[in-house]
Amino acid sequence: MTDLHVVFSVAGAEYTIPAAAVVQLESYQGATPVPGTAAYVAGIIQVRGQVIPVIDLRRLFGQPSAEATLDTRVIVTEQGGRQVGLLVDKSREVLRIDSAAVQTTPGLVAESSRGFFAGVIQLGQRLIMLLDLRKIVGEEDLNEQFANRFESGFNDAAALPGREPEGVAGDDGGAAPEH
Amino acid sequence: MAESGGLKEFVSAYVVEAEEHLETASTQLLAIEQALRLGGANLRAQREAFRALHTIKGLSAMVGVESVVTIAHRMEALLRASDRRGAKLPVESIDVLLRGVRAIQARVRAFGEGKAVPLPDVELLHALDALDTEHGNDPDELPHLELEPSLAAKLGALELEQLKAGLNDGQRALRVDFKPSLERSARGVTINQVREHLQRIGDVVKVFPTSQPAGPDEPGGLSFVIVLLSPAPLKAVADAADVAEDKVQILAEMAARLPVPGLEASLTAEEPLDTSADDLHVPQRGVVRVDVSRLDDTVEGLSSLLVTRFRLARAVKALRDRGVDTRELEAIVNDNARQLRGLRAAILRVRMVPVSELLERIPLIVRGLRRTMNRQVRLELESGGAEVDKAVAERLFPALVHLIRNAVDHAIETPDERVRRGKPEEGLIRIECSSRSNRWLEMRISDDGRGIDPAAVARRAGVAVPATEAGLLDLICRSGLSTRDVATTTSGRGMGMEIVKRIVHEQLGGELTLHSELGHGTTFKLMVPLSISVVDAFSFVCGGQRFVTPVVTVEEIIEIDPREVVEGLALPGQRPIKLVRRRGRAVPLLSLASVFAMPASGLEAKALVVRRGDDTMAFAIERMLGQQEVVVRPLNDDLIKVPGVSGATDLGDGQPTLVLDLLSLGANVSSRRLELEA
Repeated sequence: MTDLHVVFSVAGAEYTIPAAAVVQLESYQGATPVPGTAAYVAGIIQVRGQVIPVIDLRRLFGQPSAEATLDTRVIVTEQGGRQVGLLVDKSREVLRIDSAAVQTTPGLVAESSRGFFAGVIQLGQRLIMLLDLRKIVGEEDLNEQFANRFESGFNDAAALPGREPEGVAGDDGGAAPEH
Repeated sequence: MAESGGLKEFVSAYVVEAEEHLETASTQLLAIEQALRLGGANLRAQREAFRALHTIKGLSAMVGVESVVTIAHRMEALLRASDRRGAKLPVESIDVLLRGVRAIQARVRAFGEGKAVPLPDVELLHALDALDTEHGNDPDELPHLELEPSLAAKLGALELEQLKAGLNDGQRALRVDFKPSLERSARGVTINQVREHLQRIGDVVKVFPTSQPAGPDEPGGLSFVIVLLSPAPLKAVADAADVAEDKVQILAEMAARLPVPGLEASLTAEEPLDTSADDLHVPQRGVVRVDVSRLDDTVEGLSSLLVTRFRLARAVKALRDRGVDTRELEAIVNDNARQLRGLRAAILRVRMVPVSELLERIPLIVRGLRRTMNRQVRLELESGGAEVDKAVAERLFPALVHLIRNAVDHAIETPDERVRRGKPEEGLIRIECSSRSNRWLEMRISDDGRGIDPAAVARRAGVAVPATEAGLLDLICRSGLSTRDVATTTSGRGMGMEIVKRIVHEQLGGELTLHSELGHGTTFKLMVPLSISVVDAFSFVCGGQRFVTPVVTVEEIIEIDPREVVEGLALPGQRPIKLVRRRGRAVPLLSLASVFAMPASGLEAKALVVRRGDDTMAFAIERMLGQQEVVVRPLNDDLIKVPGVSGATDLGDGQPTLVLDLLSLGANVSSRRLELEA
């Protein structure tokens, strides 16, 4: 089975994710930093009227951030209705990749990569890492995150499965402690 | 002063009520027109329109907007005259009447905004009079009224005419003195209600608001002198106005008033019954009109409840950590959470308005366009029973108007062209709404017109032909791009789509999509949230970054005088807390940039003071930028949900700006400190 994949580079290495999970590519004009978020969250941007978080893959992979260039792109991904942007150095290529060509991640790399890689693709001289998008955007940690936040008390109202749990603070001018 | 507040409320209630009746009037006029075009008559619509105008006249007389009284009176007379003739208005009269509605609307708004109310347009009055051929003046002499000259002088010619006609009909001109009081308003008796009650047993000619200086045994304030015509006995009038019988005086009656046998008896027998039935049904339609700001107060109250609940939950957790059995407490806290959730949903529902109210205003717009553009258009409206927050409805409407204008102006072909293309002469515009997953409203605006030609649009913009419909949409939403050479009065120069896009994306945080088939028509699909939150916010700079925070959370903005800042106690392993003197009290001063671990850039010259309960805190910032209304979009993603940040907004630069919740940030800072202390 072959699927389209979007290929991009981060700090000199090449990575890819399935094109099916990509909504669009945006050039990067900088994100609005959100204080108190994880170091690898570059901030928020507005895409087609939506506000979405952007993950700086350089920082996620333990590299220093780079100055934005004309090549810098935000890859807007979507999974289960949740949109997250990935900040990459460059992305110019869409490849058709045969699932049979995906090899398992070498043990040493897998250990140091916190499960970010779903496999490796060898293409002639090139070595492309297939990313596990769910791990990257933290989908699997969601429940744990919820639990943590409830403990610290800040998601109190938001944790209630209300009709629109996120709105109260904004509605009244932000006196609720949920965010 | 309570009285002036009352008067202000009075004016805004007048504007709201008048607008409502104006809407009824125009809807009914359109219904009459449709019936006339089909060769029939719509008696019911005509009476409804008459009633609406009559009410507007009465309301306007009460607040003293004479020019509205004059216009409404002529319109009303025209409708009444035609009713007497057998219910057929000339078709051309609808145009004039709609002009009248617009003229009244403009004057009501001017009055509501405290501007000078223009005099009635003479040409309009002539046009109305010309249609009302039966309207004639009775040359009889004016009756003598037992009224203070100062008040009598304020009666306009129309009112005197009305009094004269009423007296000729055998009614009495009466004066009622009504004084609002706390006790009365506690029972729900207001001037509006009294006027309504009196209107049922007579005709209110004029209401004079008068102000009274405070006397030795009575507080001063606003009172009203009501002049009305009624055949009812004084007692019935006094009861209707909730005043003692000596507050009702006869101003004039015809000397040769013939007693009408049975009339007095039947009125005395019926009226008290009527009024008591009324009292049982005080909220007649079960509808209460509420100022949105009062709803906001309620939401604010709710959010302080949420803060309390959050503290309660923490306290319970602390107990549990100490090994206390908290199962019962936890059950109560959970119940409390569920109740708060219900309360919140209930409050949000109160703010919802039916989308059908929005759609009802469309036919009038299309009617105007149809006439100026020589297009024949049929409208199909389907609200799907959807409801949206009032703030969404207010923003959505202009976008809807732009799309409709574009459809009539650009999309629907002329009747000839349509026939040549084998389409029905009449174009079709269809608006369809439905709510999706309790959070989104989907609205489709389709036409069966010529469709959008990507090649033509691209040629005009000087770019390559867009490959997708999304690309085409982006292109037609570009500023200043028009596929027309000539700007028309209705659609301007293609700025419309840019505005639509901005409203949908920026003001509502929604999505706009397009589907177009060349030669067959275009559909725009809008997805907008059912509710948004708009807050009045301060914008400021901190750590070199721009932020906004709701005005309501800020107690005060102070200048930081370095001489007033002292270093407080330093706990082991912590930097000392700074304190700033404010009104004789020492308030903790925190650099917002350092709370956020941002590089402090520049001098922190100002501070925002916030208070939570007894806890006051000042957040030092670099400088203030201004104050504006912002639409707050929640930050839903877990990656960016952090304490102190309640959402994001667009200040118009396309970059999100963070909305800070300094209250919860303050709470977070203090609890972090407490944890460190423990």
